[in-house]
Amino acid sequence: MELLGRQEVWNITYDHALGETASYFFTQIRDNAKIFGRRSAKNGHVLVPPRAFSDETLLPTTEWVEVGPGGRIEAFTMVYERFNNLPDPPYAFGYVLLDGADTALGGYFKGVDLKDPDAAARQLAIGTRVITKFAAERKGDPLDFWYELA
Amino acid sequence: MPLKRQPAVIGCAIRPAIRGRDRSLEEIMHDTAMMALADAGISIEDIDGIVVASNDQFDGRAISVMMASSALGGVDRDILSTPSASEHAFVLGALRVASGQYRTQLVVAWSPTEVSSMSEAQRLGADPYYHRSLPLDELSAHALQAAAVEHRVPGAREMALAVAAKNRAHGAAAYPVSPVPGPFRWPVAAAMTSVPVTGAVGVVLADADFAAERGVADPAWLRGMGWATEASFLGDRDLSTAPALREAARQAFEAAGVAASAIDVAEITDATPYTELLAYEALGLASREEWAARLTDGAFARGGRVPVNLSGGVLTHNPVFCTGLIRIAEIAQQVRGRAGKHQRHGARLGLAHAGSGFAMQYQAAVILGRDARA
Amino acid sequence: MSGDRVGIIGIGQSAFRSRRDDASYPDLVREAVVLAMADAKLDFDAIEAIVYSLSPDAMVGIGNAERLGVDAVGGRNKRFLRINTGGSTGISSVAAAYYHVASGACDVVLTAGADKVGECGDSQTVLNKIWDPTYERALPLGTINMLAMSAVRYMRNYGMTQEDMARVVVKNRRHASLNPNAHLRKVVTLDDVMESRLISWPIKLMDCCPQSSGGAAMVLASEQFIRDNHLDAVWITGLAHRAETYWMGDRMGNNPTAEHADAYALRRSFEKSYKMAGITEPPKQVHVAELYAPFSNTEFHAIDAAALCPPGQSVPMMRDGMFELGGWIPVNTSGGTLCTNAIAVTAMARVAETALQVWGRAGAYQVEGARVGIASGNGGDHQIFGTMVIEA
Repeated sequence: MELLGRQEVWNITYDHALGETASYFFTQIRDNAKIFGRRSAKNGHVLVPPRAFSDETLLPTTEWVEVGPGGRIEAFTMVYERFNNLPDPPYAFGYVLLDGADTALGGYFKGVDLKDPDAAARQLAIGTRVITKFAAERKGDPLDFWYELA
Repeated sequence: MPLKRQPAVIGCAIRPAIRGRDRSLEEIMHDTAMMALADAGISIEDIDGIVVASNDQFDGRAISVMMASSALGGVDRDILSTPSASEHAFVLGALRVASGQYRTQLVVAWSPTEVSSMSEAQRLGADPYYHRSLPLDELSAHALQAAAVEHRVPGAREMALAVAAKNRAHGAAAYPVSPVPGPFRWPVAAAMTSVPVTGAVGVVLADADFAAERGVADPAWLRGMGWATEASFLGDRDLSTAPALREAARQAFEAAGVAASAIDVAEITDATPYTELLAYEALGLASREEWAARLTDGAFARGGRVPVNLSGGVLTHNPVFCTGLIRIAEIAQQVRGRAGKHQRHGARLGLAHAGSGFAMQYQAAVILGRDARA
Repeated sequence: MSGDRVGIIGIGQSAFRSRRDDASYPDLVREAVVLAMADAKLDFDAIEAIVYSLSPDAMVGIGNAERLGVDAVGGRNKRFLRINTGGSTGISSVAAAYYHVASGACDVVLTAGADKVGECGDSQTVLNKIWDPTYERALPLGTINMLAMSAVRYMRNYGMTQEDMARVVVKNRRHASLNPNAHLRKVVTLDDVMESRLISWPIKLMDCCPQSSGGAAMVLASEQFIRDNHLDAVWITGLAHRAETYWMGDRMGNNPTAEHADAYALRRSFEKSYKMAGITEPPKQVHVAELYAPFSNTEFHAIDAAALCPPGQSVPMMRDGMFELGGWIPVNTSGGTLCTNAIAVTAMARVAETALQVWGRAGAYQVEGARVGIASGNGGDHQIFGTMVIEA
């Protein structure tokens, strides 16, 4: 009994409105190479990435606060496996608590030798200081910045 | 089967046409939730659980409940999602309150227009085995149903145009809008539908004890609820009928212990006017032999015995995925006396019909009343 | 309270495999449904409502694929709705079915679903799309590296090692070898796991769940119906859902409410389930657990969150064999999600396997005398958690 298959591809395009808050964040990155968070009304925490409201209280955030460019690594991983539509391995990325922020912002870690995973893991250990780097030409999207060991 | 506890709608936020790009989708969800809570006069702390509904392909998010959760109070709270239909979120929310294990539920649905082609997104709903290569989006499915109705019912097209004219007039009186007519898809004329817009809707449900404690003056009591589905393949169905809606209506009217004649006001999901005609029949408002007479005598028009779609219906606002829950919210507002310019004076018992999917595959009927019982 | 409970009267599961080229997606759903209906000894006529279990449509490749499943579940003209809470969909579906009965609306409800993850092409690509397009979609996030980052923090906080992670794999594979429905049933050694290729540090290939295809279904009924029809059943005595912040970066940094190393909302969910079931001392009162853990490291924080031990203690206790069959409180005796992961129904399988245990029907992997079991499911970016207590 011959079993047939059929190939289908999902390829849909979206034009997502970023809203005022995210638009400000990305225009600051694009135009000024600066990163901003928003302050939470109730506990004063600076939320990065910024949002219009805190998800814990649902209250609007109150003000813009510049954060970074220095920070510390809160989580990391190094990927060695190839996945469709994701970058060629190996690469490292994770979350950084930028100076002045209370929550961590995701980004790539560049400039780390990833050949020896355990050695790389030691280099990227939680608490390691990093500095945010910006691309020379920026578009106003998350890949305009990344982190390197300080 | 009688529900253990009787839920009531105590707050609504109906946002059938949201314009502008100053708020992201998550911010829209947040605003909608806040508006519904404000209408209910309560805060998020009073909410025991949340049910949301949206279409991942419209949203461009593979699990839309994730971000939604952080947008409308899901943090440290119980949140579920029914992406099958916006009205299903209402159903599940109502069941949760009815179980006695939740005092309140926040139900929110949304429908953005950020996808480059809604038609393309909808076509992904056709199975890849037999139907994906056909141009089968929702409008095509509705058109197939319209053709089936025309085949069976002489004069259906004129009746459909009359239904559209009624809803257009209602919409113009209710909201300051000028909907853009939808594309022509034979036999559905452009004047019979309108192009999709971005919309969102929120409803707050509560049980009787909560409503009493908070002194809620105008709950819309759930008197009956029914829901059912048609078969999977369009080809397996007689598209000139709506048996699943007949079954959903049967469940709802049986629970309410009333007949269709007791209904004061109705909202029907007029994905096309033919859908509305079929709903008249399945809901027991008018058999197909009576359609022409009812459309002529104005029974379903503003000022008539059972005004249908005083909101203007889907013809006026087409936030595709939310249209079902919006019908329920509109009826809640009617029996709460909060329908503003399109209030049916003295509405005590309302019927909402919510339908979704290809040629109304999912059907639901919800009866809400100013009084807790007959 | 007695007389008012919701019981499980039928269970059906596929023998999960990578691919099922012999069956379309609706066929797989049907397969599980037929098994569950036979188990419940009911005709389709008896079913009053269906709750359909399906997580991302993109995984199956059909928008609103539940519509295609209507006939597979005998749903024509019946009450029907679909649940999607990501990986927790299966347990959320059982919960939704529970409310259909507990509300008084229905006496008998079917919940069912299936997945064909192996046909997807790449589940991590689809799973990348669960993150927001605003800030995080551009990063190569996927469920594997998300939980690798959790492992990194759990290592720092509690001293877990890669060997500890490997121990979980060895345990669950041994359990799975006794479960005819499990996907990965080959027994492995610690060395096998440690030598498997690195995916996302510290997670290696064998630390990961497989991409499974198959279906699951369950029939729930009211206590009244069960008594009137003299049916055999086990009971859902506690259930709850809880979500934590979507933002992973908020689970780090200064004084986070939810810590990414742990499973905060899972703990909160269990607290609620336990309270409802009257369980005040889980380590003493729970006999068996099916805890959703698609990667070896996550089984630790799941055990912690189930309050079976203090946070981080699950690591030394795992070394001591406390959670294996024959041990103190066996965890994932079916092999768990680590050995079988058909995403749309994985969390339903956790409930099903717990039910089988307290029902005394777990065959070769039965825990002697198990009468109280717990099940959990995780969804979203480790964000939405459903839990249940099931008792004989």
